[in-house]
Formats: sequence, C-alpha cells, structure tokens
Amino acid sequence: MTPARPPGRLALAATLAALCAAPAARAEAGPIPVALARRDGHVVAAVDLTAVLPGELPSRLGNGLRNVVALYVAVVPIGGEEPTAAFVRVFDVLFDVWEETWTVTVRDPRTPGGRRHVLRSVDALRALLARVDEADLGPAGSLPPSRFTVDVRIDVNPISPELLAATREYLAGAAGGRGASRSVLGAVAGFLLREPEEREQSLVFRSRPLSPDAVPPR
Amino acid sequence: MYALLLALSSLAVAAVPGGDAAAAPAPPPAAVAEPATPPPAGPVEQATAAPAAPSDEEPHGYVVEKIVLRGLQKARSAAVRRHLRVRAGDVLDDREVLLSRLRLLQLGWFSQVEARVERGSARGLVVLVFEVVERNTIIVTDLVLGTTDPQPLYGGLGLAEQNFLGRGFALGGAFVYGGAPLGRPADPDRFALRGSFFAPDLPIRGLGRLVAGAGAWALRGEELACARPGCDPFAEDFSRAPRVRYRRTGGELTLGLRTSAFDRVLASWRADRVSAVAVGASSLPDFAPPPIHFGDSWASALVVSWEHDSRNDFFLPRDGLRLAAQVTFASRLLGSDYEFSRYLLQGESAFALLGLPLRLQLQVGAVQGDAPFFDRFYAADLSYFAVGPALGRALELNFSTDSRYDAFAAMGGLEWAVPLRIHGRFLQRAYLAIGARAVWSSAWLGGGRTAFSSFPLSADLALRFDTPIGAFNASLGYALDNLL
Repeated sequence: MTPARPPGRLALAATLAALCAAPAARAEAGPIPVALARRDGHVVAAVDLTAVLPGELPSRLGNGLRNVVALYVAVVPIGGEEPTAAFVRVFDVLFDVWEETWTVTVRDPRTPGGRRHVLRSVDALRALLARVDEADLGPAGSLPPSRFTVDVRIDVNPISPELLAATREYLAGAAGGRGASRSVLGAVAGFLLREPEEREQSLVFRSRPLSPDAVPPR
Repeated sequence: MYALLLALSSLAVAAVPGGDAAAAPAPPPAAVAEPATPPPAGPVEQATAAPAAPSDEEPHGYVVEKIVLRGLQKARSAAVRRHLRVRAGDVLDDREVLLSRLRLLQLGWFSQVEARVERGSARGLVVLVFEVVERNTIIVTDLVLGTTDPQPLYGGLGLAEQNFLGRGFALGGAFVYGGAPLGRPADPDRFALRGSFFAPDLPIRGLGRLVAGAGAWALRGEELACARPGCDPFAEDFSRAPRVRYRRTGGELTLGLRTSAFDRVLASWRADRVSAVAVGASSLPDFAPPPIHFGDSWASALVVSWEHDSRNDFFLPRDGLRLAAQVTFASRLLGSDYEFSRYLLQGESAFALLGLPLRLQLQVGAVQGDAPFFDRFYAADLSYFAVGPALGRALELNFSTDSRYDAFAAMGGLEWAVPLRIHGRFLQRAYLAIGARAVWSSAWLGGGRTAFSSFPLSADLALRFDTPIGAFNASLGYALDNLL
C-alpha cells in the first residue's frame, strides 16, 4: 500500500541507518543459500529465498491495494550488529481484482526508475520475490576482514512516523481530572492516544558464516 | 502491595524474549520508511533505494462501491465509519485507505485492522473491506493500596470502559475505602466514590466537534487538625488527635469544543455540597483545621480549561507536548458559600536525550480567596515522595497526619525512560523510569510557609507496564514515601 519512490543518493545511508537503528531481530529460519562473486571490483550476491519465504506472503499482497515489499541484503560481521555493506530492492505490488493480474514494479540501484512486470499467478509473484540475483554489495574492499553472514530482511508495508502523525488525534478522556490518586500500582490515565499495535512486518533470514576469501572472481 | 509488585516483576521477567538476537540484522521499527538518521560512514558508496511514504502512484481508477466493516462486535459501525477517510463513491486511493487503517488502529478499539478490496457489482467498481479484531477497552485507572501511621491499610480500585456503547464514549468509576479511623471503631467509615462519563468527540452538524462530560462523587473523610504536620503530641494514639470530619457530595457537567486535532476548550460547572464538623480536641489551643466552613455549605464553581496534547504515545512519548491551563471561579453569583479563584498551568514535553525518551514536567498553580482545602494544592500530590508525614492522597482522601493545603504550588521535574525489551501478550511494553522533581509551595500567596518537607526534592525509580487493561506504575518512590 505504500509505494516506493525511485532510489536516490540517500542510498545505502538510508539502508544502513534502517538496518542499524532498530532493535535486533531473530533470523526466521535456517541458513539461506547465498552465492557471492566478485565483479568489476564489486561483490555481488545471489540469494534464493524460495525455501524460506512464508507461504502466506504472496497472498497477503493480493489485497487489491498497493503494497510495498522492501528487501535488504546486508553483510554483517559475525559478532557485530552493524552491516558493512548492503543492497536494497523495493517491490511495488498491486493485485488487480478485476484483471486478476499482479503488477509488480521492481526498483533497485540498477533500475531506479523501476522494471514493471505483469504476473498472472501467485507462483510467479513468489518466484519474483524469492530470487535476488546480482545484488551489488559494494566494493570488495568493504567486506569485513573476518567471517560474516549475508542477512536478508524483508519489510512489508513499512509505515513512516509522518504517516502515523497524519492520523493522530487527541481523543483521551478528561485530562487533569480531580481526584487522581497516586499509588505503588497506580494506573496512568489515557488510552486512545497511542501508537497503533502493528503485526510484525519484518522477516529476517541469514546465510551460513562466510569468509572473505570465499568470494571468487567472476 | 509488595505482593502485587513482585507478581508484576516476575511476569515481566517471564515476558522478556530470549534467544540469540544479537547477530541478526536489525530490522527497522515497525514505523520506519524514510530514515531521518544521517548517513553512517561506511565503505559502500552505491546508491540504493529506501521504501518511502505513500504515494502518488497512478490510481487504480476503480470506484469504491461500498465499504464493509467485518469483525465488529461491540463497536458501532457508524462510530467506526466516522473515522474513515474513504467514502463510497470515491475513486480508490491507496493512501487514504492506509490512513484510514492507521486511524482505526490509533483509536485503541482494535488490536488488528486489515484492509482489502473485492470485486464490486460491475466492472470498475470495488468493495473496500476493513476486517477488524476488537480489543479489550476496559482498563484499570486506579489501583490504590497504602498504609500510614494513623491508617494501617486502605485501598481502592478504578475502572473505565473506553468504548462505552461502542461509540467511543468513556465511562469510569473508582472507589477508595479506608474504614473507620484507627482506634475509633464507632466513627463513620471513610470512603470516596467517583463516577464519570466523557464523550471526547461528538460531531454536531453546524457546531463542529464537541466534547461533553458529566461526573459525580461522594466522599466521607477526615483531616487531622493538628498544628504540627505530624500530630506529634498524639503520636502514641492518633485516635485522640483533633480532626475535621466532612462529607462531600457533588457533580460536574462539562461541555467543550475541539478546536483542532490536538486542542480542546472545556467549560464546566461544578457543585459540591459540603458538611464539616470538628471532632475531638477541637477546643485545644493547637487545633488547626484546614480551610473549610463548618456546618453545611456549597462550593459552586465555573471551570474553564484549555488542553493541548500532541504526544505521540501516552505510555512512552518520544515526541509532542501536553499543555493545560485551567481557571476556576467560585462565587456567590453561582450559589457558592466560598469565594475564590484558582489558576493552574501544566506542561509536559516529550523528546529524546541520548536516544532515550525524556519528559520535562512543569506545573504551577495559585488560589486566591476563601477556597476550601480540597480546591487548594496538596504538595505531596506533586512529588514522588515526601520526607515527612505527608503522603499523596487517594481520590482526594488524605490518610496522613498532614493537613497543610497550600495556596501556591509549583513543580518541576525530569523523567528519563529506559525502554525494556518486553513484548508479551499481557505485558506489552515496559520501561524503567528515572525521575527527579522539585516542589515548592506556600500556604498563602506571596508568603512563606513551614516547608512542605525538610527536603523538597524527590526522585523515583519506577517500572511502568503497558498492558491490555491499563498502564501500571510500580514505584520505588511511593514505597519510600511510606517509610519516610
């Protein structure tokens, strides 16, 4: 429901900031297959999420409204939390309830304007979401000297604080009422003025540990 | 109270998620789209995309034939539809659907809201479906358990239904019971009862969005009337201490206007029937009752309030401001036996320091004229703890020996919050609050007073829990207050 804008120079900044700023999450499943290669001085990754992508995800995206799936691929040193390199791809997914087709626009650094796909089945959508080839993780020198994992995070319909602010209203009961009591277990008044409870919208997958010398030149 | 504290603490521990989370890439918070954080220095220079807010993508071109709400049990359809930003006949707009969904989630009536589109009755038409799961809307507003020297045990409970009749009204009630005073079993029981109704958002054609409320209360209490706050001459047997026994029965009607999404102006009329008698050693020279008219009297007042609250979350705000100003005017013009005016300013700003939420709290109040004690300021209500006999009141009942009520009070405080990693079904969120406050009060305007306490500073270390039945505060400061 929240389409992506074309990628800009914010780039990795945004990606890394998002990856770093938030609380850590647990990987969803066992190691995912990842193939790394060196090309023109850069490290590129191929990731296959076919076996781990939740079965209900493609159908969740078939709600007839525009959905955004942001897929991050990051190199994370073992024992560290901050990625040293990252790639992001954004899928804009819209299921047409009358045509029964999926229109998917894929944006990444190679196609900032987006590549448009019209798909006729959930299986085709699943295949498109699950395969990431040629994910440019940046200069080979940016790989950590020690062992690392390639982690993949998928965010579904991320919501910005600005959006939340757009719908917020002060609707609490009478404030500053007389007779408020103070106690060791005193309740704090207020109810309606709160952040919405959202279902977990992030999925995290991780490769087996890799070492820098395991990246063959292509 | 310590048993409850322990119970909550152990629940909190049980709810802490375990497992190895450290090495996974940190997902952004649920609400992140355009990170505001400056770019971190790093070796990678390629341009990548970040998901962004919605959106001016090409529209579907479909028209919303009708809107269907599924899963409603208690909430009324009309009350829910009022908050939607999409109407039948509109061209389907994803952004408006998303904003509608967020709005419903923010109401607090639903734990889950999903939106989807189905085929309509003809090509080009669609049915917009919102599927909701309702959540509990009955919360605990007060949970009181306390002890003082003259009152070994007292307690109470308050509950509120935040979606009364499924229309978004609030209906609440609370009580505190203290029984007969220690050593005086024949005396009347002390209690406070309070009930309230509040409609925070009433759209009235031609008038805008109104606010309406009504409340009623009944109290039977006592204030010890010693010249010294601790009633020291009677420390061996407080049953012999002079006292003022009183009853209050009253009500309040409120009407207001919502001047913006975050502001409202309220006008109330409040009436209190008061009966007060002096009991015990009232003929002693050191009989020092709090301000009250003995016999039967009326306190009738007009109260005008302005409130602004833009905090992003009531439990753990990281952004926004709460401001309130209130003027109370009581006069014979309104049938009152008390002539006074009361002024109150409150402010709380929420922001972050070193990445953690910090609240700055300020309050200043003044009373002019012949205000009864219950319209004055009780300094212990404003502090985390008081070094001395005073103890914060419960539903306006004072169970301490200190009956010093002031004409002026000011409080400044800072509270820092350290969020805890708790995301259970019951203990949904929690944080450790570290706070400090300074309170200054004086018995009369422009004058000094005996110090509210020998140490007007207080601090607190508290665990705050957000649960489906309300937010709870397990406070070390309060526990300390019972000891000091």
